[in-house]
Amino acid sequence: MRHIRAALARLAGFFTKDRADDDLKEELQAHLDMETAEYIRRGMAPDEARRRALLASGGLTQAAEAVRDQRGLPWLESVVADVRYALRTLRRSPAFTTVVVLTLALGIGANTAIFSVVHGVLLKPLPNRDGDRLLYLRQSADGPGQANISFSVPEVHDLRTGVPSLGGIAEYSPWNLTLQGDNDAVRLDVGLVTGNYFDVMGLSPVLGRLTRPSDDGAGVPPVMVLTHDFWIKRFGGDPGVVGRQVKLDGQSVTVIGVLQPAPFFPDRIDALLNMVVSPHHVSAMMVQNRSHRMTEVVARLAPGATVAQARTEVAAVYTRLQNDYTEAYNPGSHYRIAVTPFKEALGERARLTLWLLMAAAAFVMIISAANVANLTLMRGVRREHELVVRAALGAGVARLRRLLLVENLVLTLLGAVFGVVIALVGVRLLVSLAARYSPRAGEIRLDGVVLGFTLALSVALALLLSFIASLPKEGTFAAWISAGVRRMSGSLRKQRLQRGLVVAQVAVSVVLLAGAGLLTRTMIRLSEVDSGLVAEEVFAMDVPLLQLSGGPSGGTDPMAWFRHIMELDVAAKEQYERMRSEIRALPGVTEAGLGSSIPLAASMLIFDVKAEGQPLAVGEAMPRADVRTASPEYFRASGTPLLLGREFTSTDRAGSGLVVIVNKTFADKFFPGEDPIGKRIAWTGPLLKLSPISGDWRTIVGVSGNTRDGGLDAEPRASVFMPFAQMLSIGGALVIRADSNAPGLVAAATRIVHRIAPAAPIVRVLTVAQIKDQSVSPRRLNAELVSSFGILALIIAAVGIAGVLAFSVSARTTEIGIRMSLGADRGQVQRMILWEGGVLLALGLVLGVAGAFFATGLVRGLLFGVAPRDPATFVGVALLMMAIGIVACWIPALRASRIDPAIAMRSA
Amino acid sequence: MDVQQGTLALMILRTLEVLGSLHGYGIARRIEETSRHRLTLNYGTLYPALLKLEQEGFIAAEWRQSENNRRAKFYALTAAGRKRLARETREWHETADLIAAFLAPRREAP
Repeated sequence: MRHIRAALARLAGFFTKDRADDDLKEELQAHLDMETAEYIRRGMAPDEARRRALLASGGLTQAAEAVRDQRGLPWLESVVADVRYALRTLRRSPAFTTVVVLTLALGIGANTAIFSVVHGVLLKPLPNRDGDRLLYLRQSADGPGQANISFSVPEVHDLRTGVPSLGGIAEYSPWNLTLQGDNDAVRLDVGLVTGNYFDVMGLSPVLGRLTRPSDDGAGVPPVMVLTHDFWIKRFGGDPGVVGRQVKLDGQSVTVIGVLQPAPFFPDRIDALLNMVVSPHHVSAMMVQNRSHRMTEVVARLAPGATVAQARTEVAAVYTRLQNDYTEAYNPGSHYRIAVTPFKEALGERARLTLWLLMAAAAFVMIISAANVANLTLMRGVRREHELVVRAALGAGVARLRRLLLVENLVLTLLGAVFGVVIALVGVRLLVSLAARYSPRAGEIRLDGVVLGFTLALSVALALLLSFIASLPKEGTFAAWISAGVRRMSGSLRKQRLQRGLVVAQVAVSVVLLAGAGLLTRTMIRLSEVDSGLVAEEVFAMDVPLLQLSGGPSGGTDPMAWFRHIMELDVAAKEQYERMRSEIRALPGVTEAGLGSSIPLAASMLIFDVKAEGQPLAVGEAMPRADVRTASPEYFRASGTPLLLGREFTSTDRAGSGLVVIVNKTFADKFFPGEDPIGKRIAWTGPLLKLSPISGDWRTIVGVSGNTRDGGLDAEPRASVFMPFAQMLSIGGALVIRADSNAPGLVAAATRIVHRIAPAAPIVRVLTVAQIKDQSVSPRRLNAELVSSFGILALIIAAVGIAGVLAFSVSARTTEIGIRMSLGADRGQVQRMILWEGGVLLALGLVLGVAGAFFATGLVRGLLFGVAPRDPATFVGVALLMMAIGIVACWIPALRASRIDPAIAMRSA
Repeated sequence: MDVQQGTLALMILRTLEVLGSLHGYGIARRIEETSRHRLTLNYGTLYPALLKLEQEGFIAAEWRQSENNRRAKFYALTAAGRKRLARETREWHETADLIAAFLAPRREAP
């Protein structure tokens, strides 16, 4: 207590110095006057009395100084003095200061920016209450599109009753609804959730209420909770939205609340509703069929339970299910279940990319720090004279060290300030990168933790820089001073340290450049992939017309709902055909087709499929194919080549013989070496009876070329096209080919669609080039970021080599002068310096290539079409580094060869 | 003779207890007189000590007119100062006794 009080008084003293100084002066003066008066009273002459009093005082100035030490914070005051001194020194060498601060700013800026993303996306605790106790359950099977097949309602029920270590299991079914606005319609990505969802997730409303168990089941009014983002985007953050009625798929739904900002997995969504909004979700087929998997599962660990416990119990339940219900778990497909912390699931797509970028940024930091260290070392040599003088004036080693530390702190903190400015710009770019990989991109902030990281980084750097500078040991000052030499140590030890730093810089640059090279090649390879379409001027529009969630009130009778959908479909088909023919008639349009989905996009539906006369072998995985539809014009419009057989024709309509066109992958899989035309296939599997698709045999009439529907980096999947007219118009897309300038026709086509179906949302309008670019652009951004880090590293390293050699040249001026006066010509001098640099370069290259050999294996997952140890990349990178390195050596070598021996030796 | 570290605070507190509110000059004179001029206090010793006691809250200071009508800073004991004085006095006696016992002339072993 007493100490705190004293400390506070001292702190106060630090700030009230001036007034206190006046007070003190007056107090001491009073003392002196009283004492003088006393002496006079005793009979001394006034002058003598004053002299005696002064003598007894022991010196007013000294006293004042002693009091000041006690009053304020002498430590702080001397630090302030040190900072002032450091600023003065740094102002006196502006070139050094600028280079160091800029180098540090780049390094610190890159690290701050990347760390803010890593922190926001991977490390920060979830906004959910006890977010680290949330688990994500994932069911997967073999085959394309089966990495995350979600769960059926009976499966969720079995997990809920059989796994005591999961305290709550929430269901969440991703779904699409069309929101009808006053003068527009938008397609919403929503989640249909059970009433316990928000409780399990640990989320609270910022407005209104959330759904609760009483909102479950059929026969309750549909209600909607808006996500925070969507509330801001669509309703401008209007608090009056709660209680409002909105039209969703033709139904009236009440907005009951707005959710706190929170990440969702696997995808971002706009709103959450109770299940009743979709008659299908409360139907018997959804609730009772074990194979009808469309529910995501997030669970909360029961109090005291561990993840390991949960894993064991879930695995036990799952094994039992597989034994009890063999028809739902085809053994050949290797059904499996995984339990992951929710936070990890949220970060899984971003993790590798982000750690790669973090490592690249750390490398840049290492290189900049090495450069600054070298600059500091060189400057330290030039400053030895100054340090000696200071030592002679009584500064101890500790004091000199502190001076250096303060100076370096000023440098690194200045660097940090500029670095944060760089990071502020960089983060904006990075958020758009992160948004492709993570639902948490919105949480990226330059917050306290990130700034703390930056501060810690700067302080650590300053400490490092202060302690590599060698100061004499206590007690050896006398030797220094008496030696009186201007250059105490162009010492070998110090030069060795500098050279080591250069080697490290080169090595790290090579590793970075190798990574950059591989990612750039990945990007190039990807953009060279043949999409499978002969398509220059093609664009596609997603226009879903069928609103699956509307329907008969109550919506509990599946057959009633089904009849309702079929009626809607007739009207939709008629609208689609009007759109198609009107767009086809636009000048410049050469073809227009209809299909279930735009080309180069994965189909929403994947079904089990069988070929006539080909029974499944025991243990063989159930074959599956993407379900697609196409109008007769679709293939020509999209540019999908027809390899065999015929296109669909207008005679392939409802009621006529069922026909299909399969793609090459499908044909190769089912009919290797045979002519597939005329063969028959059928959809099959447990899902079929839930769908409007019949299991009747269908005759193959054509084979189309493969297209990259799962992204350019994914192998083509088996696809089956049915005639648009013979199938419910699920999805719904227009594909339009133009003779030139397809983007110029978008506006006209959009107008036609809006006129014919004013209530239909246009989900996306993309040219084929844009669709392709969606695969390439995240990789391009990766490649660009790592490449810019690589180039930055290269530049800094080159400056580092040149700087160290230049320093070495200036330290050896006399030696070079002697050599030249003894007959060495300019060429020999140049070679000498080049050799000196070349050794460093070669060493760095060898270490760097070895390092890259190990490091690039770690980024295998980010590469496409190029091996992690691609020889061409490695050779190219080594050559580039060598070329830049030699140029960097050449400049000081040239300077060395221009030394005039006469001047060099005279000045020695 | 210089004042021993740590004892000056005690002397100041005691002086203020005996004489009441007093300025720096008065305190110095009193301590010197009490020590029969074996101690001399220069300003650089006295004033930092006063400031420290003030910062710790054992004494309080205020500007007043002195006896000869000069403005001076007067120091007075606070309640905390009184408590500390009592405690330190007791401790000091105990220490003195202890040291005295140690330093007493050794008796011959019987």
